[in-house]
Amino acid sequence: MKRTEAPPRYPVYVPKVSRIWWLRTGPFRRFAAREITSMFAAIFSVGMLLFLFALSRGRAAYDGFLHWLKLPWVIALSAVILGAVLYHTATWFRLTTRIIVIRLGGRTVPTVVIAAGLVAALLGASALVAYFHIWF
Amino acid sequence: MATTPDEAGGREDELSWGDVLDQSDRLEVRPRPRGRLVLQLPSLEALVWALFSAGGFVTAILVPVHVAVLGIAFAAGWLPRSALAYERIVHLVHNPLTKLYLLALVALPLFHWAHRFRFAIHHQFGIGWKRLAATACYGTAVIGTALAVVVLLRI
Repeated sequence: MKRTEAPPRYPVYVPKVSRIWWLRTGPFRRFAAREITSMFAAIFSVGMLLFLFALSRGRAAYDGFLHWLKLPWVIALSAVILGAVLYHTATWFRLTTRIIVIRLGGRTVPTVVIAAGLVAALLGASALVAYFHIWF
Repeated sequence: MATTPDEAGGREDELSWGDVLDQSDRLEVRPRPRGRLVLQLPSLEALVWALFSAGGFVTAILVPVHVAVLGIAFAAGWLPRSALAYERIVHLVHNPLTKLYLLALVALPLFHWAHRFRFAIHHQFGIGWKRLAATACYGTAVIGTALAVVVLLRI
């Protein structure tokens, strides 16, 4: 770089990045998929809000919401949301086992044990929610 | 360290890594002032990251079963008739603990989405506008949380 030019006084390395860099390789694509599928977590929240709104407006609105839940496109959307959040669960557990380090008596708990704990938490919480949701 | 497009000699429509990431990938932390009593407030970035993380756990552990029960099992007719009966659900939601649970179930995934979508705007869609993107994403999550509070108080 010529010294006669005004700032910058020293060369600055800025890599040029294509706008679709995240489509290029497998890990990039999986990263992008993880980020984009968080959309479905927000869609779930909106659906839950609609459920609560219907509940607050009385029996007729609530029955209307339950009827809406049985429409084919809503079932299809639910299936897509379920797939997306299970993908999220897998990626979230994967990255949690890489972040959390538990030391017990000078030894590090193996990641397999942490992963098993997370899966146990998922199954336990699911069983509890299903029990309250369906039979309680 | 991050540079602005001008410093790097780039044009304004070309996003550089530093341009997009300078807030979240800071290489240095300002040292704490020593010898004085200073009230340390956690930064906004730390707060939204904590909400993002909590939302990640809620979405991973609690959301799948809710979608499976409400979206799939009910629609497929696998549930007993009483499962989603109006009286039973109203009785369940009247409990303050259930209300707190539902508030977390609605709000935290929204904050999780907000944090990831904020960066997806920069990384995947290649749009700059950092302040606007952050305000729009977290603002949406805050509005959703407020709506959840209002509706839960009205049930």
